[in-house]
Amino acid sequence: MRILRFVGRRLLQLIPVLLGVVVLTFLLVRVLPGDPIRSILGPNATEADADAARARFGLDQPMWKQFLDYLGGLFTGDFGTSIQSGAPVTGEMALRLGPTLELVVIAVTIAVLLAIWLGIWSARRADRFGDHTVRIFALFGNSIPEFWLGLVLILVGYAALGWFPAPSGRVDPDADLTPLTGADLVDALITGNGPAISSAAAHLVLPVLTLVIGVLAPLLRSVRASALEVLRSEAYAAAAAHGLPERTLLRGYLRRATLVRLPSLAALVFGTALGSTVLVEYVYSWQGFGQWALRGLLYRDYPVVQASVLIIAFAYVLVFLIADVVHAWLDPRVKI
Amino acid sequence: MAAIEMAPVVSSNRDGRFAKVLIYVGSGILVVAALAALLAPLLTRWGPTEIDPSGTLAAPGGEHLLGTDGNGMDVWSRVLHAARLDLGIAVLAVALAVVVGTLLGLLAGYLGGWVDDVLMRIVDIFQAFPTFILALAVSALLGGGFFNLVVTIAAVNAPAYARLVRAEVRTLREMQYIDAAKTSGASTIGIMWRHLLPNSLTPVRVIAPLNCGWAMLTLAGLSFLGLGVTVPTAEWGSMISLGTSDVVAGRWWTSVPPGLALLVCVLGFSLLGEGLQERADAKRR
Repeated sequence: MRILRFVGRRLLQLIPVLLGVVVLTFLLVRVLPGDPIRSILGPNATEADADAARARFGLDQPMWKQFLDYLGGLFTGDFGTSIQSGAPVTGEMALRLGPTLELVVIAVTIAVLLAIWLGIWSARRADRFGDHTVRIFALFGNSIPEFWLGLVLILVGYAALGWFPAPSGRVDPDADLTPLTGADLVDALITGNGPAISSAAAHLVLPVLTLVIGVLAPLLRSVRASALEVLRSEAYAAAAAHGLPERTLLRGYLRRATLVRLPSLAALVFGTALGSTVLVEYVYSWQGFGQWALRGLLYRDYPVVQASVLIIAFAYVLVFLIADVVHAWLDPRVKI
Repeated sequence: MAAIEMAPVVSSNRDGRFAKVLIYVGSGILVVAALAALLAPLLTRWGPTEIDPSGTLAAPGGEHLLGTDGNGMDVWSRVLHAARLDLGIAVLAVALAVVVGTLLGLLAGYLGGWVDDVLMRIVDIFQAFPTFILALAVSALLGGGFFNLVVTIAAVNAPAYARLVRAEVRTLREMQYIDAAKTSGASTIGIMWRHLLPNSLTPVRVIAPLNCGWAMLTLAGLSFLGLGVTVPTAEWGSMISLGTSDVVAGRWWTSVPPGLALLVCVLGFSLLGEGLQERADAKRR
């Protein structure tokens, strides 16, 4: 029950933040220079054509009326109509979320598992050669531009070795995949489409590898730091002094105590990965959420900008909330 | 890098020698990069936007040390000249973020009350986004160019400094020396300026170099997406972007060198930041 009350209180605290995001995005996209209408009209369009288009999207209404319409739509899950494509934003967004979540979830999962293993390994060899190697690797990982890493991987994996498909899509069109969730590997597995499974997996390798290297470094540093803290604690020293076997020490004391930090770390890295995917999608022509949002921003497609900004903020704060709840549930020391 | 590989042999963390090595190597890299940026015209015969009419996409060697790009411009010259813009924007933006963020953090932390409430709610909204996404949105809306990029990157980072300094000030203001200053008649501004500001800057000094590295990556990322600096101005991110189509054809020299230059500079900031952090940790122990 205490957890439920905690969740309720945190959800209430989110409301003003999200409302702030809604108002700020709505105002900024309209106040700053740029016109969404001009870009959909031909070069010969007259002022009358522009006015007609504005009326069609409700942009001729006073600002407060537009805002109320937008806010009213939000409560029914209606994000409005895209000015560029003329299609409902909610449907377009749903199509784009699958491919992006596929990349982010796979990459974050691999990075988290790898970070736990390597971070603890490194902490147990603190200040020795293996540890320094891991730390220098982490420094490099922290400093590498993901988009450039993506290009280098294409150069090696596709252009030089030819092991991986060209960076121009997510699945071979000949594999005849029926789209369900938008995440191609998941769709292929559900429909049991053999050729599509291998094609989708092959297309995933390089972008996922790029993201993993990008997000691994900060995770690795934190896992190493918290494992070191446990190793230097009195509780651990006492357990070791009792002569407990190495396995029990590693599993029961070191790993469990280190893993307590994991939920909040994973949440933080999820945010970093969301940012990096925009770049990675661009490099690999991955038609996901990031590409869609970027296009919306560039063409000042008001409804698309509003929807994508709000969804990212919502996902980000929600992931942090989930992380806090899981942390409180795992760690009896946390008071909520 | 050899200096760091040797570090475990000569030192342990306790005497802070490892931290010193990190700081020296990091600063060394940055000094070399800054020199290369300043002396760029002396290190190459070609101008950064000068077009060689005799050939586009020429392979490295001969006339052009690192070959030419799709526009027939010398890659080596552009890599050198780009350092001015990349380092300049990143350092200026972080400096601006530190000044604005520290000021807001001081006000919120020391004054408390409604000032604190309003400022922290604004910070909450900024921090509801992953930082790169926020930078992306702001720069797409503001537009590119030197000034706008500095403002964008500073605006995205300032909230974190505000929060950091505010937390520091809230512990400091309970200290006895602040009470002593108050009873001896120091003004609010005097206390903030003379006592709180210098003491609350300790964590900022460690974070700022790391932040400069992040700012360089952000700037290059934005330019890569076509939002920051655009061709023909020499900037590493936009050079890499121009080289994307060459990569698929197996031509490495248009995009690999600018990326390496960027990696090395960011690494310089990371090493410096890591060293400062290590030294701060050692002092605390």
